[in-house]
Amino acid sequence: MVLVVFAVVTIVFFVLRLTTGDPARLMNPPGTPEDIITQTRERIGTDKPVLAQYGEYLWNMVRGDMGTSFRGDTPVREAVLNAVPNTLSLAGITVVIGAALALLLGGVAAWRPNSLLDRGVLAYVALAQATPAFWLAVILVLVFSLRLRWFQAIDLTGPKSFVLPVTALVVTLSPVLIRTVRQSLIETMGEDFIRAARARRISERRLFLVHGLKIAALPLITLIGLQLGFLLAGAVVVEAIFNWPGIGKLILDALASRDFPMIQGGVLVAAVVFVVLNLLVDQVYGLLDPRIRVHAR
Amino acid sequence: MSPTHQGDQTPDRKQGFTRRQFIVTGAAALLAACAPQARTTTTTSAPGTTAAPGTTVAPGTTAAAGPSGTIRFLNAENFWADWSPYSSTALSQVRIERQIYDFLVDYPSGDISQPVSMLATDWSQVDELTWEFILRDDVTFHDGQALTADDVKASVELASGFSGDSAYSLWWLPAQVEVRDNLTLRITTEQPFAALLPALGWHTPILSAAWLGGDQDRLASEPNGTGPFRLADDTVEVKTMEANTGYWGGAPNIGTLIWEFIQDPQTRLSALLAGDADVIDRVPPEHLGTLQGEGEVELVSSTAIESVGLFVRPGRLPLWDENVNFRRAVNWSFDRDPLVDNLVLGASAVAGSFIPTNTLYYQQQEPAYRFDQAMAEAELEAAGDNPEFELWVAEGFQPRAVEVIQAMVAQMEQVGLSPRIVTTDVGALIDDVFSETGTGAMYHLSWATNGDPAPASAVYSAAFAWYFGDERLQELIDLGATTPDPAQRQQHYEDLQAHMWEQVWHVPLYNSDFTIAHSSNVQGMLIQPNVLRTDFHTAEIVA
Repeated sequence: MVLVVFAVVTIVFFVLRLTTGDPARLMNPPGTPEDIITQTRERIGTDKPVLAQYGEYLWNMVRGDMGTSFRGDTPVREAVLNAVPNTLSLAGITVVIGAALALLLGGVAAWRPNSLLDRGVLAYVALAQATPAFWLAVILVLVFSLRLRWFQAIDLTGPKSFVLPVTALVVTLSPVLIRTVRQSLIETMGEDFIRAARARRISERRLFLVHGLKIAALPLITLIGLQLGFLLAGAVVVEAIFNWPGIGKLILDALASRDFPMIQGGVLVAAVVFVVLNLLVDQVYGLLDPRIRVHAR
Repeated sequence: MSPTHQGDQTPDRKQGFTRRQFIVTGAAALLAACAPQARTTTTTSAPGTTAAPGTTVAPGTTAAAGPSGTIRFLNAENFWADWSPYSSTALSQVRIERQIYDFLVDYPSGDISQPVSMLATDWSQVDELTWEFILRDDVTFHDGQALTADDVKASVELASGFSGDSAYSLWWLPAQVEVRDNLTLRITTEQPFAALLPALGWHTPILSAAWLGGDQDRLASEPNGTGPFRLADDTVEVKTMEANTGYWGGAPNIGTLIWEFIQDPQTRLSALLAGDADVIDRVPPEHLGTLQGEGEVELVSSTAIESVGLFVRPGRLPLWDENVNFRRAVNWSFDRDPLVDNLVLGASAVAGSFIPTNTLYYQQQEPAYRFDQAMAEAELEAAGDNPEFELWVAEGFQPRAVEVIQAMVAQMEQVGLSPRIVTTDVGALIDDVFSETGTGAMYHLSWATNGDPAPASAVYSAAFAWYFGDERLQELIDLGATTPDPAQRQQHYEDLQAHMWEQVWHVPLYNSDFTIAHSSNVQGMLIQPNVLRTDFHTAEIVA
């Protein structure tokens, strides 16, 4: 995990400095006297050689200092740590609702394959998969905020603020989860152990809900882990549209200004969160299926 | 590593943290970390008492309700700079600094020839180089310190570049200040400075001498001005100000002013229409129709004092540097009216000169460059060559910039020119301008000023990257800045505009639209096209 995070941080550090866009010039309109530009570079530290900047950055990181934003000297750690819970809460609620929806709709579809319900669910899956999150987010705002006035258009001010952004993300996340659960359930219900249980007169409902669904949940967990990256990426767009004070918006705004410390800090924390979540997913998977628990010698 | 055998009954005797404990603890920690940091919504509340400027409350009487209510302004431009005013001229910072700092004179009408008193109650010209100013005696900084002539001395000498490096020194001539008494000072410039009062009114916020001479980090993070608002909270994207109830010009009506950067114009629009914001910045042309149909929203539009054009980088296109026929060919090769009427929209206006239309001494130039294929082809033939060149445009900077350039290039190609569009972001564009290995010849950029011709024309001078070594141009720019007599100054600027129009060192396009939209229950803002001024001292929230 440490190696992954270190690699991400290093790559981002050097890519930022190799791309075009001098932060000092961006902070000052074209025509600003060169000595002011030089002063700005000295203030933000971009006047030093890149390797010296990298060394200083690593040393500060070891001490827990993520640096200060190029825009107004806000400590990056403070900004990033304030933003992370907002993104985690958005993603977390999306995952929970998305998983519940997947189990519900996937289960309903698999209960009677090729029935009207099944086809309805598959139609929803096709439609949702074709719907970009950014477009849906804008439509949700248009309808529910501007026309119906049921929800606010921007900001995180309380539980009600979650409804529209989570809806946009769930619709984006759910299709692949629903299809996976449906397919897994259909396959599982055809397994020998299910037939054997059926022969022991266990009710179809119990077979489906207890035995079938438990097995079908396993690939769902794996898939959630795989989708986390896409979810976080989707959250960036949704955060921008809803002015959600999360890590995605923080990085997006920092990118436009070439605010190197903020970009680095945001990406670092996002990478750590992503790696930790994947580790947790692995652990949860092992908890659900004893067959794949692995012990170190 | 070995998998656990199914059916193994051996209990886990491992000491320390078990897997189950790890998961439970980790889940609990994650739940705690997921607790969102909800923002305290500041919505427009019931109107507070509208106090007339200068109203004071007699001791012993019941005080009228003070400033109340909140206005939330969604800014289109990022907050690039810190709170040290002389370290940057970024417009986004200039606009919010005006709430915190005052100036010696003001231009509430926007007419650059009509200054009114602000921190200075009176002023007079002593001689060709010297002006005397008398200060108000009832002004204090936010930290309680009284304003004196020493503060003005420190501010002016720094702004002008006399006592240190200043981002505003380009709008000044070096100036020395003599303090005659606590409230009287004389400003002496090295040459007659025709734009002294505009420089004082737009580019010289007055700071405390003690702060200017003290901890610079503190100056950068804790602004201490004399203005109607003081900084209450400061994050990267949100600046919160609260009313300065002791303001010499009368306390503001509103209690809290929030400036917030929101990059996406659609998000800003949605916020305004949903009532989540009170004022939004830089309404793009495609949203004007939507807002014009809304009863609870008002638009304030003006032609910005901003020149938008193709700025040509000397040395990148030798034929351009050497041959006026080629330059005129480019200017004759496309039509500006459709750009304004169909793309940029709003209050934008075709450029009739190299300085914006609302600038003092502006004069419409002739011939007006329109699309004239025959003329363009004739000039191109006289040029004797037709090289390919790169035309750079930044997305997300000026509204519809890419569409404007595409429309222009389509017509340019019609007359036989060979431009190649390079679309990028503003950071990369600016990099290319200043890079020794830059490949761009022309850049779609803009230059916004205060309405005085000196800063408007300064961008074409030797101090900037766009200067072609035209000594006559530099001479006229210098004369305009240093000729105090209005009639003579006007003549110099008329000559300058005529000369620039004849030489066409660059490609003027239009003066952009400046539109702000606000909730109809927010009134009294001061909105001017001069440096996109948006002041809230007199703003109020009405029922």
